[in-house]
Amino acid sequence: MLSSKDNYMYEMIRTELTDAVGEEFVGTGNADKFGHSVDYYWIPEMWHDRGMPTPKPDFVVHPGSAEEVSKVMKIANHYHIPVVPWGGGSGSQGGALPVYGGIILDMKRMNKFIGIDKESLTVTCQTGMIARHLEWRCNKEGFSTMHLPASIACATIGGFLAHRGTGVLSTKYGKIEDMVMSLEVVTPTGEIIRTLPVPRHASGPDLTMLFLGSEGTLGVITEVTLKVHPEPEAREFRAYIFKDFHTAMSAGAELMRSRLQPCAIRLYDEEETIHHVRRVFGMELDKGAYLVFGFDGPADIVECQMRRARAIMEEKYHGKDLGSKGGDLWWQNKYKFFYPPFMFHIPQAFGTLDTVATFANIENVYHAMKKVVNENFPQARFIGHFSHWYEWGCMLYARFIFEGENVPEDPAEAAALYNRVWDMAIRAAIANGGVINEHHGVGLKLGRLMKELYGPAMPVLEGIKKQLDPNNIMNPGKLGFKGI
Amino acid sequence: MNIDKYTDAIKNCRFCFMCRHLSGIGNVTFTEADTPRVRASMIYGVTMDPEKMADKDFIDTLYRSDLSRACCFHCVNHYDENSLNIAMRTDLVEKGLAPDYAKAIAENLKSSSNWEISGAAEVLYFTDRYTLQTGTVAPAFDAIMKKAGINYATVSGGCIGRALKVLGFAQDAKAAAEKFVSTVKAAGAKTLVVSNPAAYELLKNDCAEFGIEVPFAVMHTSEYILSLGLKAAKAAGDIYYLESDYLKNYNDNLPFPRQLLAAVNANIKPFGTNNEESYTCGEGAVLLPEIDETLVAKLAAYIADRADDPANDKIVVASPYTKIFLSKYTKLNVATLEEVVAEVL
Repeated sequence: MLSSKDNYMYEMIRTELTDAVGEEFVGTGNADKFGHSVDYYWIPEMWHDRGMPTPKPDFVVHPGSAEEVSKVMKIANHYHIPVVPWGGGSGSQGGALPVYGGIILDMKRMNKFIGIDKESLTVTCQTGMIARHLEWRCNKEGFSTMHLPASIACATIGGFLAHRGTGVLSTKYGKIEDMVMSLEVVTPTGEIIRTLPVPRHASGPDLTMLFLGSEGTLGVITEVTLKVHPEPEAREFRAYIFKDFHTAMSAGAELMRSRLQPCAIRLYDEEETIHHVRRVFGMELDKGAYLVFGFDGPADIVECQMRRARAIMEEKYHGKDLGSKGGDLWWQNKYKFFYPPFMFHIPQAFGTLDTVATFANIENVYHAMKKVVNENFPQARFIGHFSHWYEWGCMLYARFIFEGENVPEDPAEAAALYNRVWDMAIRAAIANGGVINEHHGVGLKLGRLMKELYGPAMPVLEGIKKQLDPNNIMNPGKLGFKGI
Repeated sequence: MNIDKYTDAIKNCRFCFMCRHLSGIGNVTFTEADTPRVRASMIYGVTMDPEKMADKDFIDTLYRSDLSRACCFHCVNHYDENSLNIAMRTDLVEKGLAPDYAKAIAENLKSSSNWEISGAAEVLYFTDRYTLQTGTVAPAFDAIMKKAGINYATVSGGCIGRALKVLGFAQDAKAAAEKFVSTVKAAGAKTLVVSNPAAYELLKNDCAEFGIEVPFAVMHTSEYILSLGLKAAKAAGDIYYLESDYLKNYNDNLPFPRQLLAAVNANIKPFGTNNEESYTCGEGAVLLPEIDETLVAKLAAYIADRADDPANDKIVVASPYTKIFLSKYTKLNVATLEEVVAEVL
């Protein structure tokens, strides 16, 4: 590690980096280094809150092209310096933190919109583009990526690709990995490669999928072609209150098994319905579990699907109809949950224990995680909702929250408590058919659990990492791969 | 400290990313530091360790902000990182830590103030440095007033306080504002009309904060011209209107500019991809060109990149400042509201 400007090698390397990307695009200032030392992960936020020093990079490099990324990779390999790609910095798993110093490769300068292919309905852009900017650009031409997560305002497209992100319309349009046509990637050794131009083929294993979710450990994704969709003629929502979570889950699963095509389903457990939905919507709700769903597309097809979905909700599961207004409120306020003060914030300790499982397992996963949190951490609150639904199961967006008075002031003790919750809850999920994570990624936060999840398959991942990144420069210590 | 008044912004903005896409300077420098989140986080650091205030990089980052307030307008709870930034600058000034460039600009502003009023009338038109610098805004206003048959006087001669305030020189800003208000009051004007939205902000909001009574009506030219009820002889046609930071984000989306354009039959087309980003070249910071004009050039290029047809689009702005720097750094065809109206009467 270099870290000190007193070390003359620091200046030697800085000179090489400026030669690669330009003087203006190599940052060494305290403010910019600090900006890259805290992301949306609770631990660095808490660390900063307690006045502790946060891990800073030696250099913040803003490449302008894949060729410049390649040059940086070659310099980093030559000197064995860590390289950590950074998009919007809004990751919640610590995946972009420069825990070993080195180079932060801030991708936001690579923000070119390349174009929409209106015949194939695809859009191509550089991956440093902020997602909201891409979505606005597509909207101007009557299209949408349909990738609309709460982080749309701050995350880059590359960030979504790096951790297999998802958006509120995933139930119909898929997660980001379902939206990708092809990628341009700079490998850790500096080769610029392109994956195949289409995602459906029988031309060998899918390299695109190798890089999606690799969290900057296997290379840097510099350009992407994504599917786009015409803005729908109609989009309608409807909400129900069910007597309990189990009934609501059964109704939601039935909706998916019916093979109707909702664009979104969201189910809040009783706790979250009382404490969060009511507060954000300003809506008086009965006790029970709130479920909202919607359809989009041609108006007559939306009407038909809505009618059949309502029959499932009302006739089979006896949900109390909150009408389209109850559903529209959710759509209109879907991001409001994430703005302060609605979002949980320090001094609280909180985390999103998101996982995914089949319908056969998902309730067991939910109850197992809830039990382990409630029994071992009685001072914590456990809430959950189910955000992303598939033909075979759904994603649990569980959260634990400690109020400030229950969080140790000592930062090491607070971090230890935090990690214990994660370890126990995630192990409970895995034991019941869940996985470490559904769409936030693994990062630094959950890397230690990767071996438990993958078992004998972990060496396969490690072998790929070693082959692609022989000097282990790419985001070391993340995704369960070894550090420095 | 002055930042203590903005504890809610410190606590709520320091880890929040939800306005990241609207970080005007951040979108052209690409750096995390140039975002409300990081600025608020660094200021939080100062609350724990005041010695951090002296860090040159921290200070320069604060002074580089375009102060567009787009973040605050966007935020569902309107946390005000902009005012927090200005409060931090004020603390820096009070601790003797203001950067040399800010001190020099402030000294120049203070020493060059010399108010002059031409004529006597109930309506007084304030021609600030940017309005005068355009060379076209004041003549357009004059043409409108002649058409309306209204006698007016003008006042000009310095900084009325907004520029000093955003630089962190709050006491000097207050003194400048007091002097200006007493000058206008002494002239007997009942209505003061301003073209520069920054002047509007000072007189509408800053004076109240300073405890200065403003004993005359203050109107932006858009509101005033609209009130005249003039009929356009021809339609203003297709235009793209770029909002003013001060009129939109600072003053709850003041409706008069768009109403005025509608009154002269302008067909307002949506510019770029959204109406949330600031397209003003840094109007909120008032004197960003004197701090770092390369940033202003980048902001202008960012705007030009979003035009549908840069060579032919007619861009209309409320702010003389924006006209000056958009015209200087791009090939866009830019007019102010006053010019558009004068042309069609």
